[in-house]
Amino acid sequence: MKVIENSKVKEKLYFEQLENGMPIMIIPKSGMRKKYLIWGTNYGSNDNIFVVPGENKEIEVPNGVAHFLEHKMFEQENGTNSLDVLTSLGVEANAYTTNDHTAYLFECTTNFYEAMDELMDYVQNPYFTDENVEKEKGIIGQEIMMYDDYPDWKVYLNAMQAMYHNNPIKIDVVGTIETISKIDKDVLYKCYNTFYNQSNMAMVICGDFEPEKLLEEIKKRLKPTKTNGEIKRIYPEEPENIVQEKIEQKMEVSQPMYTIGIKDKPTTNNGKELVKKDLAIQILLELIIGKSSNLYKKLYDDGIIYGGIRGSNEFSKTYAHILISGQSENPEKVFDMFKNEVQNFKANGINSENFNRIKKKLYGEYVEQYNDVSDIAGMFLADYFKGINSFDYVNEIGNINIEYLIQILNDIFKEEKMVISVIR
Amino acid sequence: MNYIEKTIKKGIKLHILNTDKFKTNLVAVFLTTKLEKETVTPNALISAILRRGTNNLKTQEEISKKLEELYGASFDCGIDKTGDNQVLKFYIQTINDDYIPQQEENMLKTSIENIFDIVFNPLTEKEGFKKEYVDQEKKNMKQRIEGRVDNKARYALDRCIEEMYKDKPYGLYKFGDVNSLENIDENNLYKTYKKLIDECKIDIFISGNINNEVEDIIKENENIKKLKERDAKYNTTSEKPEDKKGEVTEKMSVTQGKLVMGLDLNIQNEDEKYYTLVYNNILGGSANSKIFQNVREKASLAYSAGSSYFKYKNNIFINCGIEISNYEKAVELIKAQIEDMKNNNFTNEELENAKNSIIATIKIIDDEQDTLIIYYFGQELSNNKITIEDYIKKIEEIKREDILNIANKVEITTIYFLRD
Repeated sequence: MKVIENSKVKEKLYFEQLENGMPIMIIPKSGMRKKYLIWGTNYGSNDNIFVVPGENKEIEVPNGVAHFLEHKMFEQENGTNSLDVLTSLGVEANAYTTNDHTAYLFECTTNFYEAMDELMDYVQNPYFTDENVEKEKGIIGQEIMMYDDYPDWKVYLNAMQAMYHNNPIKIDVVGTIETISKIDKDVLYKCYNTFYNQSNMAMVICGDFEPEKLLEEIKKRLKPTKTNGEIKRIYPEEPENIVQEKIEQKMEVSQPMYTIGIKDKPTTNNGKELVKKDLAIQILLELIIGKSSNLYKKLYDDGIIYGGIRGSNEFSKTYAHILISGQSENPEKVFDMFKNEVQNFKANGINSENFNRIKKKLYGEYVEQYNDVSDIAGMFLADYFKGINSFDYVNEIGNINIEYLIQILNDIFKEEKMVISVIR
Repeated sequence: MNYIEKTIKKGIKLHILNTDKFKTNLVAVFLTTKLEKETVTPNALISAILRRGTNNLKTQEEISKKLEELYGASFDCGIDKTGDNQVLKFYIQTINDDYIPQQEENMLKTSIENIFDIVFNPLTEKEGFKKEYVDQEKKNMKQRIEGRVDNKARYALDRCIEEMYKDKPYGLYKFGDVNSLENIDENNLYKTYKKLIDECKIDIFISGNINNEVEDIIKENENIKKLKERDAKYNTTSEKPEDKKGEVTEKMSVTQGKLVMGLDLNIQNEDEKYYTLVYNNILGGSANSKIFQNVREKASLAYSAGSSYFKYKNNIFINCGIEISNYEKAVELIKAQIEDMKNNNFTNEELENAKNSIIATIKIIDDEQDTLIIYYFGQELSNNKITIEDYIKKIEEIKREDILNIANKVEITTIYFLRD
């Protein structure tokens, strides 16, 4: 296995790319009792139009299939449910679906190999019937209704509607009651056979292991598979401009919630460049609207906001945007003051003392992510599907300078790319 | 991991958790006081005021800059109800010196000084807190209390507890109530603060790869030296809920109904708490549980369905998000699961699975820095010291009769339903 050592966080990544293309990443953590395994496929709610390898016709599947598939993977032919089996082993098992990947995972202290048997078995052996697919519609229907009562989820989704014309990031990961009603076992098998090929997957394990030995155990449990060849995914053309600057919805909330979005475009750069850009945006967000910024102080002292403002940079291979969220009596005022402050930064440049302090802050926060076995594994998997090696974050912070920050500020923080979504 | 407990002064304890598992040091200060109608609101407000400024770092901005300078030390404060106590919690986490690119100041020492500065040395003007801060935080606190409705599932649980403990301390909302805010000003709030600091139980936790000097850093700290000895005023026992409350329905604009059932049971000794932990796991504590299997997997009535055990109050709360028209169906189905438990209708496998899943959560206590602190704090409050190994043994030894004993004590007290 290839060993990548990071002297800053003092951790090692053991990396092996199997012949079929699937990477296995092991981060040993000696002394920890907790062990964590996560197996993901590069397939999420955004992958709705594609060509099945070996065929030549484009197909479009209903919204919410990736998530539906995730729920159904646990069902076994012998009538058992793998979630129950894993729980019986005393392990904490779960799964999740994002817009670019789906992952199956468990955390345990004992029975690691037994749990790995079960997880690798159910992910490699789907069993869908008309009956079990129908039954799941009731459960997922309730999950969709649960999200309907989350104003913070709605305010996020509406921000996507305001930014994107066609990009599937604007659809809800879980789909709607209407779209999931169209899902049947044939659709599920088609998506499974296309995207759950090992060449499209990645596995990460973290805990007290001998990497080489663990690798052998994983290989034993992998079914021999033919590589599918490249999956052609079709994403609709997305204009660079936004759809609408403001979007509003009424719900029962104590005080208006807002999300400000800045539409960016995905970059095809290599991993290190992606990390640098991500870090630069995070530093800018801290400088402009972070806890120690002038704007935050003004907003707080004037009573326009209370509590925090969350800034985040979200991106995958098919989209990129910045989000700033919080609660305020007057979200439009926050939006105006934010736009103004961006102009001030463009006009006045960046104070180097503040810049260095924020770099220290981010550095410490990235080191802190190496405390927990599950955080580490989850981070390496999600970053992998973006084309990133997670270690690069602590490595690259030092390489970011003010000139680069100003370039990113001018390129991305553009007023005509900003939207605001409000729930009141 | 090595645990040392020291009494610094009467009523003030230092807990040192020496562990090399983490890249960070975590320092926590917990102020524990009785949960009471008169003080719950001002106490909650105090925690918000303290993070606004100290006599050294006078503004939020200065505090934030100082923390950022310490490689993004994260400062956090919160309010919790633990049994019939209100706990003001303050945390500061910094990366360990081993992971700092260039050696600068002693990070642990600086972070300890900072957290003490925030908790024990707040910015004052004349005989009170800074008026501007109090006025702002009163407004924010009002928002926060009213903001309870924004998380419907959490709101439903809080409301069920409130109904169950009407006019009793545990029925108080941890942030207090809007009406009580009106009478608070910078002077009376500061008096409440002084009284709190003089009388509450104080626990200081330090976790990380640390050496012996840490004890001296604390003992020599000026803010700690100023603190008086005290007979800490806090509750070691807690009041039972009202007798059967019945069904409570509340209307709000929701898409999905939120059902919460509050269960009560009389516990005789510590061991019965361990039995209840296992009982709850079989009933609704995992994906294998009766409630999850029957309400979600078999009847497809819910996505979220489960139960949790509040060990300080000996209550179990069952939560479900359901279609509003399915209310009766869900309640009946849940009651049937509780009856099943009483009638000895659970398999040995269910019992073993429950024990195993609890043991797994115990084993990871010392893999998580904050969990470890909470574990020792819980023991400190209940005055029941048990090592992780003995805790595991206690769970292993639990038998069917123990669970049956608990099953027959459980009573449904309140059924709360939030609907449109």
